[in-house]
Amino acid sequence: MATGLDQLKHIVVLMMENRSFDHMLGSLKADNPAIDGITNQLGNPDTTGALIKPQPLAEFQSQLDPDPDHHFPAVDLQIFGGNTNPGRAPNMQGFVKSYFNQQMDVKHSQKIMYYFPKEKLPVLTTLALEFAVFNRWFASIPGPTICNRAFAHYGTSFGRVDLNPLYINEPFKSIYSRLIGATPKRTAKVYYYDTTSSTMEVANLLQNQPQLFGTFDQLQKDCDKGTLPDYSFIEPNYSDHDTNAGEEIANDQHPDHNVQAGELFIATVYQRIKENAALWASTAILIVYDEHGGIYDHVAPPNCVADQFTASANATGTGAEFKFDRLGVRVPAVLISPWIPKGAVVDRVFDHASIPATVTKFFLGDYSPRSPRETSADIFIEPTGAAVDPQRNLLSLSAVRSDCPNFNV
Amino acid sequence: MTTIKVPRPPKSAHDPGRPLTSLLKSQIEHLHEAERRLPLRYRTETYVNAIKTEGEGASYIRDVTEAIHKAHADAERLRRTRERKLEIAAAAEKRPAPKRKTKSKGKVGNAKRARKK
Repeated sequence: MATGLDQLKHIVVLMMENRSFDHMLGSLKADNPAIDGITNQLGNPDTTGALIKPQPLAEFQSQLDPDPDHHFPAVDLQIFGGNTNPGRAPNMQGFVKSYFNQQMDVKHSQKIMYYFPKEKLPVLTTLALEFAVFNRWFASIPGPTICNRAFAHYGTSFGRVDLNPLYINEPFKSIYSRLIGATPKRTAKVYYYDTTSSTMEVANLLQNQPQLFGTFDQLQKDCDKGTLPDYSFIEPNYSDHDTNAGEEIANDQHPDHNVQAGELFIATVYQRIKENAALWASTAILIVYDEHGGIYDHVAPPNCVADQFTASANATGTGAEFKFDRLGVRVPAVLISPWIPKGAVVDRVFDHASIPATVTKFFLGDYSPRSPRETSADIFIEPTGAAVDPQRNLLSLSAVRSDCPNFNV
Repeated sequence: MTTIKVPRPPKSAHDPGRPLTSLLKSQIEHLHEAERRLPLRYRTETYVNAIKTEGEGASYIRDVTEAIHKAHADAERLRRTRERKLEIAAAAEKRPAPKRKTKSKGKVGNAKRARKK
Protein backbone atom coordinates (compact mmCIF):
# COMPACT_ATOMS: atom_id res chain seq x y z
CA MET A 1 0.00 0.00 0.00
CA ALA A 2 1.43 3.40 -0.96
CA THR A 3 -1.47 5.81 -0.53
CA GLY A 4 0.55 9.02 -0.13
CA LEU A 5 2.44 8.38 -3.36
CA ASP A 6 -0.78 7.46 -5.15
CA GLN A 7 -2.22 10.86 -4.22
CA LEU A 8 0.91 12.81 -5.16
CA LYS A 9 0.43 15.15 -8.10
CA HIS A 10 2.75 18.07 -7.41
CA ILE A 11 6.37 18.40 -6.34
CA VAL A 12 7.47 21.85 -5.14
CA VAL A 13 11.06 22.86 -4.42
CA LEU A 14 11.96 26.08 -2.60
CA MET A 15 15.70 26.73 -2.69
CA MET A 16 17.04 29.26 -0.21
CA GLU A 17 20.55 30.72 0.01
CA ASN A 18 23.86 30.22 1.75
CA ARG A 19 23.35 28.69 5.21
CA SER A 20 24.80 25.42 6.53
CA PHE A 21 22.97 22.58 8.25
CA ASP A 22 24.63 23.11 11.66
CA HIS A 23 24.04 26.87 11.46
CA MET A 24 20.26 26.49 10.94
CA LEU A 25 19.28 23.06 12.27
CA GLY A 26 22.24 22.01 14.44
CA SER A 27 20.38 22.97 17.64
CA LEU A 28 17.78 20.25 16.98
CA LYS A 29 20.03 17.46 18.16
CA ALA A 30 18.85 18.40 21.64
CA ASP A 31 15.23 17.71 20.59
CA ASN A 32 15.91 14.60 18.52
CA PRO A 33 19.24 12.78 19.01
CA ALA A 34 18.83 11.17 15.57
CA ILE A 35 19.43 14.61 14.00
CA ASP A 36 23.18 14.95 13.36
CA GLY A 37 23.63 18.42 14.81
CA ILE A 38 25.77 20.28 17.30
CA THR A 39 27.61 18.53 20.15
CA ASN A 40 30.21 19.65 22.69
CA GLN A 41 32.96 17.76 20.88
CA LEU A 42 32.92 20.03 17.84
CA GLY A 43 35.22 22.95 17.12
CA ASN A 44 37.60 24.67 14.72
CA PRO A 45 41.01 26.19 15.42
CA ASP A 46 41.36 29.92 14.92
CA THR A 47 44.56 31.52 13.64
CA THR A 48 46.06 31.63 17.18
CA GLY A 49 45.49 27.88 17.57
CA ALA A 50 42.65 28.26 20.08
CA LEU A 51 39.78 25.78 19.62
CA ILE A 52 36.56 27.66 18.89
CA LYS A 53 33.38 25.75 19.67
CA PRO A 54 30.03 26.32 17.95
CA GLN A 55 27.80 28.64 20.00
CA PRO A 56 24.07 29.49 19.74
CA LEU A 57 24.82 33.17 19.14
CA ALA A 58 23.84 33.63 15.48
CA GLU A 59 22.08 36.94 14.73
CA PHE A 60 19.46 37.62 12.07
CA GLN A 61 21.56 40.30 10.36
CA SER A 62 24.74 42.41 10.49
CA GLN A 63 26.88 39.66 12.03
CA LEU A 64 28.28 37.78 9.03
CA ASP A 65 29.59 40.91 7.35
CA PRO A 66 31.57 40.65 5.14
CA ASP A 67 29.75 37.84 3.37
CA PRO A 68 31.76 34.67 4.17
CA ASP A 69 33.73 33.46 1.18
CA HIS A 70 32.08 30.46 -0.50
CA HIS A 71 34.02 30.28 -3.75
CA PHE A 72 35.87 27.12 -4.65
CA PRO A 73 39.31 27.90 -3.13
CA ALA A 74 37.82 29.12 0.17
CA VAL A 75 35.56 26.07 0.48
CA ASP A 76 38.58 23.86 -0.21
CA LEU A 77 40.30 25.45 2.81
CA GLN A 78 37.14 25.06 4.92
CA ILE A 79 36.80 21.34 4.12
CA PHE A 80 40.48 20.30 4.16
CA GLY A 81 41.79 22.72 6.80
CA GLY A 82 44.61 23.89 4.53
CA ASN A 83 45.90 20.42 3.57
CA THR A 84 46.64 20.42 -0.17
CA ASN A 85 48.41 17.04 -0.40
CA PRO A 86 47.16 14.36 -2.77
CA GLY A 87 45.05 11.70 -1.05
CA ARG A 88 44.08 14.20 1.70
CA ALA A 89 40.99 13.53 3.83
CA PRO A 90 38.40 16.23 4.67
CA ASN A 91 38.55 17.35 8.33
CA MET A 92 36.16 20.38 8.33
CA GLN A 93 38.75 22.39 10.29
CA GLY A 94 39.28 25.42 8.03
CA PHE A 95 36.17 27.57 8.56
CA VAL A 96 37.56 30.05 11.08
CA LYS A 97 40.87 30.34 9.17
CA SER A 98 38.94 30.98 5.96
CA TYR A 99 36.81 33.74 7.52
CA PHE A 100 39.90 35.30 9.11
CA ASN A 101 41.35 35.79 5.61
CA GLN A 102 38.61 38.28 4.79
CA GLN A 103 39.17 40.82 7.58
CA MET A 104 42.28 39.66 9.47
CA ASP A 105 40.22 39.95 12.68
CA VAL A 106 40.57 37.02 15.08
CA LYS A 107 37.46 37.83 17.16
CA HIS A 108 35.27 38.41 14.11
CA SER A 109 36.44 35.20 12.41
CA GLN A 110 35.06 33.11 15.28
CA LYS A 111 31.50 34.15 14.42
CA ILE A 112 31.53 31.71 11.53
CA MET A 113 30.97 29.02 14.19
CA TYR A 114 27.76 30.56 15.52
CA TYR A 115 24.44 28.79 15.03
CA PHE A 116 20.78 29.66 15.65
CA PRO A 117 19.02 28.45 18.79
CA LYS A 118 15.73 26.76 17.91
CA GLU A 119 13.51 29.56 19.20
CA LYS A 120 15.01 32.05 16.73
CA LEU A 121 13.95 29.94 13.73
CA PRO A 122 10.41 28.84 14.63
CA VAL A 123 9.46 28.05 11.03
CA LEU A 124 12.38 25.98 9.73
CA THR A 125 12.94 24.12 12.99
CA THR A 126 9.23 23.29 13.37
CA LEU A 127 9.08 21.96 9.82
CA ALA A 128 12.25 19.91 10.40
CA LEU A 129 10.83 18.34 13.57
CA GLU A 130 7.33 17.81 12.15
CA PHE A 131 8.26 16.29 8.78
CA ALA A 132 11.34 14.67 7.23
CA VAL A 133 14.76 16.22 7.83
CA PHE A 134 17.76 15.06 5.80
CA ASN A 135 20.94 14.43 7.80
CA ARG A 136 23.00 14.06 4.64
CA TRP A 137 21.87 16.57 2.00
CA PHE A 138 24.96 18.24 0.58
CA ALA A 139 25.58 21.02 -1.88
CA SER A 140 26.43 19.46 -5.24
CA ILE A 141 29.86 21.04 -5.46
CA PRO A 142 32.14 22.74 -2.94
CA GLY A 143 31.57 26.14 -4.50
CA PRO A 144 29.16 29.01 -5.04
CA THR A 145 25.50 29.49 -5.87
CA ILE A 146 25.11 29.44 -9.66
CA CYS A 147 26.77 26.08 -10.26
CA ASN A 148 24.98 24.51 -7.31
CA ARG A 149 21.63 25.76 -8.58
CA ALA A 150 22.57 24.38 -11.99
CA PHE A 151 22.63 20.88 -10.51
CA ALA A 152 19.04 21.43 -9.35
CA HIS A 153 17.97 22.46 -12.87
CA TYR A 154 20.18 20.28 -15.12
CA GLY A 155 21.73 17.58 -12.90
CA THR A 156 25.16 19.08 -13.65
CA SER A 157 26.97 22.42 -13.87
CA PHE A 158 28.62 21.44 -17.18
CA GLY A 159 32.09 21.60 -15.70
CA ARG A 160 31.76 25.03 -14.10
CA VAL A 161 32.73 25.82 -10.51
CA ASP A 162 32.28 29.59 -10.61
CA LEU A 163 29.54 32.20 -10.95
CA ASN A 164 30.04 32.79 -14.66
CA PRO A 165 28.05 30.19 -16.56
CA LEU A 166 25.17 30.87 -18.90
CA TYR A 167 23.83 27.51 -20.01
CA ILE A 168 22.79 27.59 -23.63
CA ASN A 169 23.18 24.72 -26.16
CA GLU A 170 24.50 22.35 -23.51
CA PRO A 171 24.14 18.55 -23.91
CA PHE A 172 21.63 17.93 -21.12
CA LYS A 173 18.18 19.47 -20.95
CA SER A 174 16.86 21.21 -17.87
CA ILE A 175 14.16 19.42 -15.89
CA TYR A 176 11.69 22.04 -17.18
CA SER A 177 12.45 21.37 -20.85
CA ARG A 178 12.19 17.62 -20.25
CA LEU A 179 8.76 17.93 -18.68
CA ILE A 180 7.22 20.30 -21.22
CA GLY A 181 8.75 18.34 -24.09
CA ALA A 182 7.44 14.98 -22.89
CA THR A 183 4.63 12.94 -24.47
CA PRO A 184 2.17 13.25 -22.89
CA LYS A 185 3.20 16.78 -21.95
CA ARG A 186 3.83 17.58 -18.30
CA THR A 187 3.86 21.02 -16.70
CA ALA A 188 6.60 22.93 -14.89
CA LYS A 189 7.25 26.46 -13.71
CA VAL A 190 10.00 28.53 -12.14
CA TYR A 191 8.34 31.01 -9.82
CA TYR A 192 10.63 33.94 -9.09
CA TYR A 193 9.69 36.56 -6.53
CA ASP A 194 9.09 39.47 -8.93
CA THR A 195 10.71 40.92 -12.05
CA THR A 196 13.03 43.01 -9.88
CA SER A 197 14.41 39.94 -8.14
CA SER A 198 14.06 37.86 -11.32
CA THR A 199 15.63 34.43 -11.68
CA MET A 200 19.14 33.05 -11.38
CA GLU A 201 18.20 30.70 -14.26
CA VAL A 202 18.83 33.29 -16.96
CA ALA A 203 19.38 30.84 -19.84
CA ASN A 204 15.88 29.44 -19.48
CA LEU A 205 14.46 32.97 -19.10
CA LEU A 206 15.95 33.82 -22.47
CA GLN A 207 14.69 30.75 -24.24
CA ASN A 208 11.43 29.72 -22.64
CA GLN A 209 9.44 32.78 -21.75
CA PRO A 210 6.64 33.05 -20.86
CA GLN A 211 5.51 29.48 -20.46
CA LEU A 212 8.10 28.45 -17.89
CA PHE A 213 8.10 31.46 -15.58
CA GLY A 214 5.76 33.08 -13.08
CA THR A 215 5.99 35.42 -10.11
CA PHE A 216 5.34 34.79 -6.43
CA ASP A 217 1.97 36.50 -6.79
CA GLN A 218 1.12 34.00 -9.53
CA LEU A 219 2.25 31.11 -7.33
CA GLN A 220 -0.14 32.17 -4.61
CA LYS A 221 -3.05 32.44 -7.08
CA ASP A 222 -2.16 29.04 -8.53
CA CYS A 223 -2.19 27.55 -5.02
CA ASP A 224 -5.61 29.08 -4.31
CA LYS A 225 -7.06 27.84 -7.62
CA GLY A 226 -5.36 24.43 -7.41
CA THR A 227 -3.57 25.03 -10.72
CA LEU A 228 0.01 24.42 -9.62
CA PRO A 229 2.01 22.62 -12.32
CA ASP A 230 3.37 19.12 -11.86
CA TYR A 231 6.73 20.58 -10.83
CA SER A 232 7.39 24.02 -9.33
CA PHE A 233 10.73 25.59 -8.44
CA ILE A 234 10.47 28.66 -6.24
CA GLU A 235 13.11 31.36 -5.95
CA PRO A 236 13.16 33.82 -3.06
CA ASN A 237 13.68 37.57 -3.29
CA TYR A 238 17.38 38.18 -3.84
CA SER A 239 17.47 41.94 -3.13
CA ASP A 240 16.11 44.79 -1.02
CA HIS A 241 14.17 46.93 -3.45
CA ASP A 242 11.25 49.30 -3.73
CA THR A 243 8.04 48.64 -5.63
CA ASN A 244 4.79 50.52 -6.20
CA ALA A 245 3.37 48.53 -3.29
CA GLY A 246 6.18 49.56 -0.94
CA GLU A 247 9.51 48.20 0.29
CA GLU A 248 10.45 44.58 -0.40
CA ILE A 249 12.99 43.02 1.93
CA ALA A 250 15.26 40.30 0.54
CA ASN A 251 14.09 36.95 1.91
CA ASP A 252 16.68 34.55 0.49
CA GLN A 253 18.67 34.48 3.79
CA HIS A 254 21.93 35.08 1.89
CA PRO A 255 24.24 36.99 4.26
CA ASP A 256 23.76 39.82 5.08
CA HIS A 257 20.02 39.66 4.33
CA ASN A 258 17.65 39.32 7.27
CA VAL A 259 17.05 35.70 8.26
CA GLN A 260 13.59 36.44 9.73
CA ALA A 261 12.42 37.63 6.30
CA GLY A 262 13.32 34.19 4.95
CA GLU A 263 11.46 32.46 7.76
CA LEU A 264 8.35 34.48 6.86
CA PHE A 265 8.74 33.54 3.19
CA ILE A 266 9.06 29.82 3.92
CA ALA A 267 6.02 29.99 6.20
CA THR A 268 4.00 31.83 3.52
CA VAL A 269 4.75 29.19 0.87
CA TYR A 270 3.88 26.36 3.26
CA GLN A 271 0.70 28.00 4.52
CA ARG A 272 -0.57 28.89 1.05
CA ILE A 273 -0.33 25.29 -0.12
CA LYS A 274 -1.77 23.96 3.12
CA GLU A 275 -4.82 26.23 2.97
CA ASN A 276 -6.01 24.44 -0.16
CA ALA A 277 -6.87 21.05 1.34
CA ALA A 278 -6.91 19.17 -1.98
CA LEU A 279 -3.56 20.69 -2.98
CA TRP A 280 -2.04 19.98 0.44
CA ALA A 281 -2.96 16.31 0.22
CA SER A 282 -1.40 15.95 -3.24
CA THR A 283 1.82 17.98 -2.87
CA ALA A 284 5.30 17.36 -1.50
CA ILE A 285 7.41 20.43 -0.70
CA LEU A 286 11.20 20.33 -0.44
CA ILE A 287 12.82 23.24 1.41
CA VAL A 288 16.56 23.17 0.66
CA TYR A 289 19.54 25.54 0.61
CA ASP A 290 21.83 25.89 -2.39
CA GLU A 291 25.12 25.88 -0.45
CA HIS A 292 26.52 26.52 3.01
CA GLY A 293 27.65 30.10 2.39
CA GLY A 294 31.07 29.57 3.98
CA ILE A 295 29.46 28.85 7.35
CA TYR A 296 30.56 26.01 9.65
CA ASP A 297 29.26 22.46 9.38
CA HIS A 298 30.88 19.41 10.96
CA VAL A 299 30.00 16.63 8.49
CA ALA A 300 32.66 15.84 5.89
CA PRO A 301 31.23 15.75 2.36
CA PRO A 302 31.60 12.32 0.81
CA ASN A 303 33.08 11.35 -2.54
CA CYS A 304 30.58 10.71 -5.32
CA VAL A 305 30.46 9.41 -8.88
CA ALA A 306 32.49 11.76 -11.08
CA ASP A 307 30.66 13.87 -13.64
CA GLN A 308 31.71 13.70 -17.29
CA PHE A 309 33.21 17.20 -17.04
CA THR A 310 36.42 18.40 -15.40
CA ALA A 311 37.17 21.88 -14.07
CA SER A 312 40.77 22.89 -14.85
CA ALA A 313 43.31 23.85 -12.20
CA ASN A 314 42.97 27.41 -13.45
CA ALA A 315 39.20 27.37 -13.10
CA THR A 316 39.23 25.96 -9.55
CA GLY A 317 41.86 28.45 -8.37
CA THR A 318 43.45 25.79 -6.15
CA GLY A 319 46.15 24.56 -8.53
CA ALA A 320 44.38 21.21 -8.90
CA GLU A 321 41.66 20.18 -11.30
CA PHE A 322 38.27 18.98 -10.07
CA LYS A 323 36.35 16.02 -11.51
CA PHE A 324 33.08 16.74 -9.64
CA ASP A 325 33.72 13.62 -7.58
CA ARG A 326 33.21 15.21 -4.17
CA LEU A 327 30.08 16.86 -2.83
CA GLY A 328 29.90 20.30 -1.22
CA VAL A 329 29.19 21.14 2.41
CA ARG A 330 25.98 19.95 4.08
CA VAL A 331 22.88 22.14 3.85
CA PRO A 332 19.45 22.15 5.54
CA ALA A 333 16.85 20.10 3.66
CA VAL A 334 13.32 19.27 4.79
CA LEU A 335 10.61 17.36 2.90
CA ILE A 336 7.04 18.32 3.80
CA SER A 337 3.83 16.40 3.18
CA PRO A 338 0.86 15.41 5.33
CA TRP A 339 1.70 11.78 4.45
CA ILE A 340 5.09 11.95 6.21
CA PRO A 341 5.19 10.77 9.82
CA LYS A 342 6.29 13.27 12.45
CA GLY A 343 9.98 13.20 13.33
CA ALA A 344 11.28 11.40 10.25
CA VAL A 345 15.08 11.60 9.89
CA VAL A 346 16.70 10.49 6.62
CA ASP A 347 20.32 9.33 6.62
CA ARG A 348 20.79 8.52 2.92
CA VAL A 349 23.08 10.84 0.92
CA PHE A 350 21.52 13.40 -1.42
CA ASP A 351 22.65 16.45 -3.34
CA HIS A 352 20.87 18.85 -5.71
CA ALA A 353 21.16 16.41 -8.65
CA SER A 354 18.63 14.39 -6.65
CA ILE A 355 16.03 17.02 -7.56
CA PRO A 356 15.92 16.49 -11.35
CA ALA A 357 16.56 12.78 -10.73
CA THR A 358 13.49 12.52 -8.49
CA VAL A 359 11.19 14.69 -10.61
CA THR A 360 12.21 12.91 -13.83
CA LYS A 361 11.72 9.44 -12.35
CA PHE A 362 8.36 10.34 -10.82
CA PHE A 363 6.78 12.10 -13.82
CA LEU A 364 8.65 10.66 -16.82
CA GLY A 365 10.11 7.33 -15.75
CA ASP A 366 13.33 6.34 -17.51
CA TYR A 367 14.89 9.22 -19.42
CA SER A 368 18.14 9.94 -21.18
CA PRO A 369 20.46 11.62 -21.79
CA ARG A 370 21.31 12.73 -18.27
CA SER A 371 24.62 13.49 -16.57
CA PRO A 372 26.50 10.76 -14.68
CA ARG A 373 25.98 12.75 -11.48
CA GLU A 374 22.22 12.78 -11.96
CA THR A 375 21.89 9.14 -12.97
CA SER A 376 23.80 8.13 -9.82
CA ALA A 377 21.97 10.52 -7.44
CA ASP A 378 19.49 9.06 -4.94
CA ILE A 379 15.83 10.09 -5.21
CA PHE A 380 13.70 11.38 -2.35
CA ILE A 381 10.26 10.40 -3.68
CA GLU A 382 9.72 6.85 -4.88
CA PRO A 383 8.06 6.40 -8.27
CA THR A 384 4.65 4.75 -8.36
CA GLY A 385 3.72 1.99 -10.77
CA ALA A 386 6.13 -0.60 -9.46
CA ALA A 387 6.43 -2.12 -5.99
CA VAL A 388 7.40 0.62 -3.57
CA ASP A 389 10.19 -0.12 -1.10
CA PRO A 390 8.68 0.74 2.32
CA GLN A 391 12.17 1.46 3.73
CA ARG A 392 12.67 4.23 1.18
CA ASN A 393 9.16 5.68 0.94
CA LEU A 394 8.96 8.87 3.03
CA LEU A 395 5.24 9.42 2.27
CA SER A 396 4.48 6.32 4.27
CA LEU A 397 1.37 7.11 6.32
CA SER A 398 -1.88 5.37 5.45
CA ALA A 399 -3.94 8.53 6.06
CA VAL A 400 -3.38 12.30 5.83
CA ARG A 401 -2.23 13.82 9.12
CA SER A 402 -4.59 16.21 10.86
CA ASP A 403 -1.99 17.56 13.30
CA CYS A 404 0.27 19.54 10.94
CA PRO A 405 1.24 22.98 12.27
CA ASN A 406 -0.04 26.31 11.01
CA PHE A 407 1.97 29.52 10.84
CA ASN A 408 0.50 32.91 11.56
CA VAL A 409 1.60 34.83 8.45
CA MET B 1 -3.33 21.94 15.55
CA THR B 2 -0.61 24.32 16.69
CA THR B 3 -0.48 27.85 15.26
CA ILE B 4 2.99 29.32 15.43
CA LYS B 5 3.62 33.02 15.41
CA VAL B 6 6.16 34.16 12.81
CA PRO B 7 7.95 37.39 13.78
CA ARG B 8 8.37 39.98 11.04
CA PRO B 9 11.76 41.53 10.29
CA PRO B 10 12.25 45.12 11.44
CA LYS B 11 11.95 47.96 8.90
CA SER B 12 15.66 48.61 9.40
CA ALA B 13 16.35 45.30 7.61
CA HIS B 14 15.57 47.08 4.33
CA ASP B 15 18.77 48.59 2.88
CA PRO B 16 18.87 49.05 -0.90
CA GLY B 17 22.12 50.98 -0.39
CA ARG B 18 23.84 47.74 0.67
CA PRO B 19 26.82 46.89 -1.59
CA LEU B 20 26.22 44.19 -4.17
CA THR B 21 27.00 40.60 -3.19
CA SER B 22 28.98 38.44 -5.60
CA LEU B 23 25.75 36.59 -6.37
CA LEU B 24 23.90 39.73 -7.45
CA LYS B 25 26.94 40.85 -9.45
CA SER B 26 26.90 37.57 -11.33
CA GLN B 27 23.13 37.81 -11.93
CA ILE B 28 23.69 41.27 -13.40
CA GLU B 29 26.50 39.94 -15.61
CA HIS B 30 24.30 37.12 -16.88
CA LEU B 31 21.44 39.47 -17.61
CA HIS B 32 23.85 41.86 -19.33
CA GLU B 33 24.95 38.95 -21.51
CA ALA B 34 21.29 38.14 -22.17
CA GLU B 35 20.56 41.79 -22.97
CA ARG B 36 23.29 41.80 -25.63
CA ARG B 37 21.37 39.08 -27.46
CA LEU B 38 18.22 41.21 -27.64
CA PRO B 39 17.46 43.53 -30.58
CA LEU B 40 18.60 47.11 -29.98
CA ARG B 41 15.14 48.47 -29.30
CA TYR B 42 14.86 46.33 -26.12
CA ARG B 43 18.22 47.28 -24.59
CA THR B 44 18.54 49.51 -21.53
CA GLU B 45 21.82 51.30 -22.38
CA THR B 46 22.94 50.89 -18.77
CA TYR B 47 26.64 50.91 -17.93
CA VAL B 48 26.64 47.83 -15.68
CA ASN B 49 30.11 48.46 -14.26
CA ALA B 50 28.71 51.54 -12.53
CA ILE B 51 26.14 49.48 -10.59
CA LYS B 52 27.34 49.35 -6.97
CA THR B 53 24.34 48.85 -4.68
CA GLU B 54 21.47 46.40 -4.35
CA GLY B 55 18.96 49.09 -5.23
CA GLU B 56 20.80 50.03 -8.44
CA GLY B 57 21.22 46.38 -9.31
CA ALA B 58 17.55 45.68 -8.65
CA SER B 59 16.48 48.41 -11.11
CA TYR B 60 18.71 47.00 -13.85
CA ILE B 61 17.57 43.43 -13.20
CA ARG B 62 13.94 44.53 -13.45
CA ASP B 63 14.50 46.49 -16.67
CA VAL B 64 16.23 43.61 -18.46
CA THR B 65 13.85 40.95 -17.21
CA GLU B 66 10.89 43.01 -18.41
CA ALA B 67 12.65 43.65 -21.73
CA ILE B 68 13.04 39.90 -22.24
CA HIS B 69 9.36 39.43 -21.41
CA LYS B 70 8.43 42.13 -23.93
CA ALA B 71 10.65 40.68 -26.64
CA HIS B 72 8.95 37.31 -26.29
CA ALA B 73 5.48 38.88 -26.13
CA ASP B 74 6.13 40.96 -29.28
CA ALA B 75 7.44 37.90 -31.12
CA GLU B 76 4.34 35.95 -30.13
CA ARG B 77 2.07 38.78 -31.33
CA LEU B 78 3.91 38.92 -34.68
CA ARG B 79 3.68 35.16 -35.03
CA ARG B 80 -0.09 35.24 -34.48
CA THR B 81 -0.52 38.09 -36.99
CA ARG B 82 1.40 36.12 -39.61
CA GLU B 83 -0.61 32.98 -38.91
CA ARG B 84 -3.87 34.94 -39.18
CA LYS B 85 -2.80 36.40 -42.55
CA LEU B 86 -1.96 32.93 -43.82
CA GLU B 87 -5.37 31.66 -42.66
CA ILE B 88 -7.15 34.48 -44.49
CA ALA B 89 -5.14 33.84 -47.67
CA ALA B 90 -5.84 30.11 -47.51
CA ALA B 91 -9.58 30.73 -47.00
CA ALA B 92 -9.62 33.13 -49.98
CA GLU B 93 -8.07 30.48 -52.27
CA LYS B 94 -10.76 27.96 -51.39
CA ARG B 95 -13.76 30.27 -52.17
CA PRO B 96 -15.33 29.67 -55.70
CA ALA B 97 -14.87 32.57 -58.20
CA PRO B 98 -17.99 34.82 -58.54
CA LYS B 99 -20.03 34.69 -61.89
CA ARG B 100 -19.28 37.60 -64.30
CA LYS B 101 -21.92 39.61 -66.48
CA THR B 102 -20.76 39.89 -70.18
CA LYS B 103 -20.46 43.52 -71.46
CA SER B 104 -20.99 42.67 -75.29
CA LYS B 105 -24.73 41.63 -74.90
CA GLY B 106 -25.58 45.04 -73.50
CA LYS B 107 -23.92 46.88 -76.49
CA VAL B 108 -25.61 44.66 -79.08
CA GLY B 109 -28.97 45.27 -77.40
CA ASN B 110 -28.41 49.06 -77.38
CA ALA B 111 -27.45 49.09 -81.10
CA LYS B 112 -30.59 47.10 -82.04
CA ARG B 113 -32.81 49.46 -80.06
CA ALA B 114 -31.17 52.43 -81.76
CA ARG B 115 -31.77 50.97 -85.31
CA LYS B 116 -35.45 50.26 -84.51
CA LYS B 117 -35.87 53.88 -83.61
